[in-house]
Amino acid sequence: MAEEIKLMKGNEAIAHAAIRYGVDGYFGYPITPQSEILETLMVEKPWESTGMVVLQAESEVAAINMVYGGAGTGKRVMTSSSSPGISLKQEGVSYLAGADLPCLIVNVMRGGPGLGTIQPSQADYFQTVKGGGHGDYRLITLAPSSVQEMADFVGLGFDLAFKYNNPAIILADGIIGQMMEKVVLPSQRPRKTEAEIIADSPWATYGKKERKRNVITSLELDPESMEQNNIRFQEKYRRIEENEVRYEEFECEDAEYLLVAFGSSARICQKVVENARAEGIKLGLLRPITLWPFPTKAIQDFANRVKGILSVELNAGQMVEDIRLAVNGKIKVEHFGRLGGIVFTPDEILEALKEKII
Amino acid sequence: MELNEIIKPENLAYDKPRLMNDNPMHYCPGCSHGVIHKLIAEVVDEMGLEDKTIGVSPVGCAVFAYNYIDVDWIEAAHGRAPAVATAIKRLNPDKMVFTYQGDGDLAAIGTAETIHAANRGENIVIVFVNNAIYGMTGGQMAPTTLEGMPTATCPYGRDIALNGYPLKIGNLLAQLEGTCLVTRQSVHTAAAVRKAKKMLRKAFENAMAGKGTSVVEFVSTCSSGWKMTPEKANTWMVDNMFPFYPLGDLKNVE
Repeated sequence: MAEEIKLMKGNEAIAHAAIRYGVDGYFGYPITPQSEILETLMVEKPWESTGMVVLQAESEVAAINMVYGGAGTGKRVMTSSSSPGISLKQEGVSYLAGADLPCLIVNVMRGGPGLGTIQPSQADYFQTVKGGGHGDYRLITLAPSSVQEMADFVGLGFDLAFKYNNPAIILADGIIGQMMEKVVLPSQRPRKTEAEIIADSPWATYGKKERKRNVITSLELDPESMEQNNIRFQEKYRRIEENEVRYEEFECEDAEYLLVAFGSSARICQKVVENARAEGIKLGLLRPITLWPFPTKAIQDFANRVKGILSVELNAGQMVEDIRLAVNGKIKVEHFGRLGGIVFTPDEILEALKEKII
Repeated sequence: MELNEIIKPENLAYDKPRLMNDNPMHYCPGCSHGVIHKLIAEVVDEMGLEDKTIGVSPVGCAVFAYNYIDVDWIEAAHGRAPAVATAIKRLNPDKMVFTYQGDGDLAAIGTAETIHAANRGENIVIVFVNNAIYGMTGGQMAPTTLEGMPTATCPYGRDIALNGYPLKIGNLLAQLEGTCLVTRQSVHTAAAVRKAKKMLRKAFENAMAGKGTSVVEFVSTCSSGWKMTPEKANTWMVDNMFPFYPLGDLKNVE
C-alpha cells in the first residue's frame, strides 16, 4: 500500500496506521468510544496481507497480558481501550514496565470515575503520567490532537517504545477518537523478520539458540538487586526526559498570557487564541505533545515571559499541577475545566482566562 | 572392583536431564514440582524442541520454574499465563509454548484466562499442578482444597456452606471443544512418573501438531502446606485426593 489521503475517524486511523507500520499483533476488548479500532482491524483482515495477528480477548486483563507475552518475544504488539478498561489493564502495564518491555497502549478517554459516561474526558492524566499501576514507573505518553496525529503516533509510539524498551501510550479522548478528518496514511512497511528481532531485541524469548536462556520477569526478591533494577529504570526515565520532550507553540512569540492544553482541548484553545487576539489580548497556546516527559523547561521559560498561565483541561485540574511545579510560584497558574463528559466552548475558556488570570 | 571402575558412560542407568540446570531448587522436601520439572525438561529435550520452547511461569511456588528448566521463559502475572501463552503462540506459531500453573493461579484468579484460552483451542500445553493448597503464601485454601481439609484460611477444615465446593476444573476444561487432551496424572511412584511422562509428551506433540489445547493436571503433594512428612503426604494424597480427583484421561482426542 502506498501513501494515501483518506477521510476517517481517529480510531480508524489508529487501526490503519498499525497495519501499515508493520505491527505484529493487536489484542483488544470492545469498549466505547474506541471499539472502531478492533472493528476496523477485523474488517481489514491484516492477517491475510501482512500476517498481523488480531484477537478479541476475553477481557481487558487478558488483552494486556497478551501484549505482555507478545512483547516478551520481541514482537511489535499493541492494545487499546477506554478509561474503565485501561484501569483494568494497570496490573499488566506495571509488569510490562517492570520487565523493560516495549509495546503500545491506546487510551481513548471517557468521563469517569467508575462506569462514568461514554462522552470525552481528559481525567486519566494522573493515571497515565503519574503511574497508574503499582511501583515507580513511567509511560512514554503521546497526546494526539488530530486524526493525523492518531495515525502518526502509532509509529512514533513504537519507535520510542523500542528505543527505550518501555511501554508507550497514546492518550487520546472520545473527541479525537470519534471525529473524522483528512489523514495521510503512510505507505506499507514490512513486519520485522525473526532475524531482525534477534538482532534488535537480543533479550527476547523466541527459543534458546546457541545462547543462554532468556527470561522475561519483573520479579527480584533480593532487595539490593531490586533497588538496582529501580535505579536502572530511573536512569532510563532521565534519558527519556532529556531527549524526548515534544510540544507545539501557537502564537507564542509576543504572548503576555499563555494557555496550556493537550489533545482535543488544544484544538479548542486555538480558537480561543484567535478570539482573544481579535479583542487585543496577546494570548498564546502551548500544546504538550508528550505529557510524560512533560515540557517542564519550556514552561519554565514562559514563566519569565508571560504574566499568567491557564491550564485548560477536560478534568478537575490535573496537568495544572505539573505546570505549577515547573513555574514554581513565579507567576499565576490557574485551571479551567469541564467535567464528566462536557466539552467547553471557546467563549467559556476566554471568560475563565479573563476572570482567573487577566 | 573399585567404584571408579564402575563410573563410565556405558554403565549409566540414570542421569539428570540435560535441560535441568544446577541451580539449587527452592522446593520443599517431598514436593512434586521437582519431578514434574524433570519430566518437562526430558520431553522438551527428547522432542528436540529446546530452540523452539517458551515456558510461561505462574505466580505461586513455581514462579521460579525459570531458574531450573533451561529454556526461554516469560514470568506471568498471577493467573494470566494462558493469556500470555496465547499471544506467544499466535505470534510465533512454530514455537512450543507451555504454561506451568498451580491450583490458585489456574483455577481461582486465572479461571477466565484458563477457560477462554482452552475454549479458543490455543495450541499450547497447560501443566496444572493441583496440590489443593496455596504453597508459596503459606498454606491457604485453594479452589481445589477438599471438603473438611484444614488450611491457614480454613483452619477448621473447608466448610462447603462458607467456601463452596472443591473445583474440578479439569472436568470443566474437558467439556470445551477447544481442548484435545485433558488428563489427570501424579508422580508419587515410579510407575506414575512413567505414565505421566507419556501423557506430557502426548500433550507437547498435540501442541506442535496444532490439535488444540492440552491440559496435564498433576495431583500433587504439598507436605509443608499439608503439615505432613513427605511419606505421609503421599499416602494422604492416595487416600484423600485420588478419590475426589481420580487419575486418568478426562479427554483424549486422537
